[in-house]
Amino acid sequence: MKKNHIRWSSIPEFLEEIQTYNQIVGISEIARRYFAMNAFDGVLTTIGVLVGNYLAGVRDLSIPIQIGIATSIAMGISGLWGAYLTESAERQRELTDLEKISLIDQSETSIGRASRFAVIVVSVVDGLAPALAAFIVLIPLFLGPWINNPILSYGLAGGIALLLLFGLGLFLGKVSEKNLIGYGFKTLLAGILAIAINFLLGAE
Amino acid sequence: MDKGNLRRIVLDVLKPLEPNIVDLVRKISTLSGVDGVNITIYEIDHHVENAKITVEGEQLSYLELRDMIVENGGAVHSIDEVAAGKRTVEEVVTHQD
Repeated sequence: MKKNHIRWSSIPEFLEEIQTYNQIVGISEIARRYFAMNAFDGVLTTIGVLVGNYLAGVRDLSIPIQIGIATSIAMGISGLWGAYLTESAERQRELTDLEKISLIDQSETSIGRASRFAVIVVSVVDGLAPALAAFIVLIPLFLGPWINNPILSYGLAGGIALLLLFGLGLFLGKVSEKNLIGYGFKTLLAGILAIAINFLLGAE
Repeated sequence: MDKGNLRRIVLDVLKPLEPNIVDLVRKISTLSGVDGVNITIYEIDHHVENAKITVEGEQLSYLELRDMIVENGGAVHSIDEVAAGKRTVEEVVTHQD
């Protein structure tokens, strides 16, 4: 069998190939799961950065911005690396199991290619989701010079974080096709709890 | 050299559950010379299934068919029936059968 030859020559063909890969290994389902889980992590971690800086009396917004960016980069790399390693190990094991049963080398079949493609997509989603979520939460801090009130920037960032959490809950509710608002409040509760515990521990 | 007009190929194939037989049958139907394809599953396991693939047409290419099956993760266990020539000859029932 020919290896590594181009299998599509136009965008519709490429999309069809992606659709086939998705059908074979269920990429969208696992990417969706990783996206929700890691965006949730990203928002909560950024809430931690914000509340920590606020309670420490930091009013120079460049400090939480720098910490936030550094944290989101670290979360992005952590997500990318972690997902790549775990997914490639899992996919390789599945492929090896299938090879044992079918007695053929699956690495250059559509199944092998779908597995490799899934690893890349899931890793990118896993890396981008927390970093992107963190950046969104930090927007009011970036706008600090225009808002001109650090406390208000912190407050707005906290508000965006809670809104994002609620949105993620709605997204999960949509996935489960049940109780959208219920899921929204469950994720929102996590954010409120994180803020509340931080304030309780940080209170003099 | 005239390779002969291969008109029917029946294969016993072990294939993964995905890509499913709807996709596979469509892909095989696009191969050169294929008039029609039938895939019948006769056994399902945890990750794989056994399929009987019947392809009919004109100037069929066994190699193209085998490559298509392998490309989709399947393995040809046996070639169970073939027919070639100017017309398709059916198996004849004899007294010994």
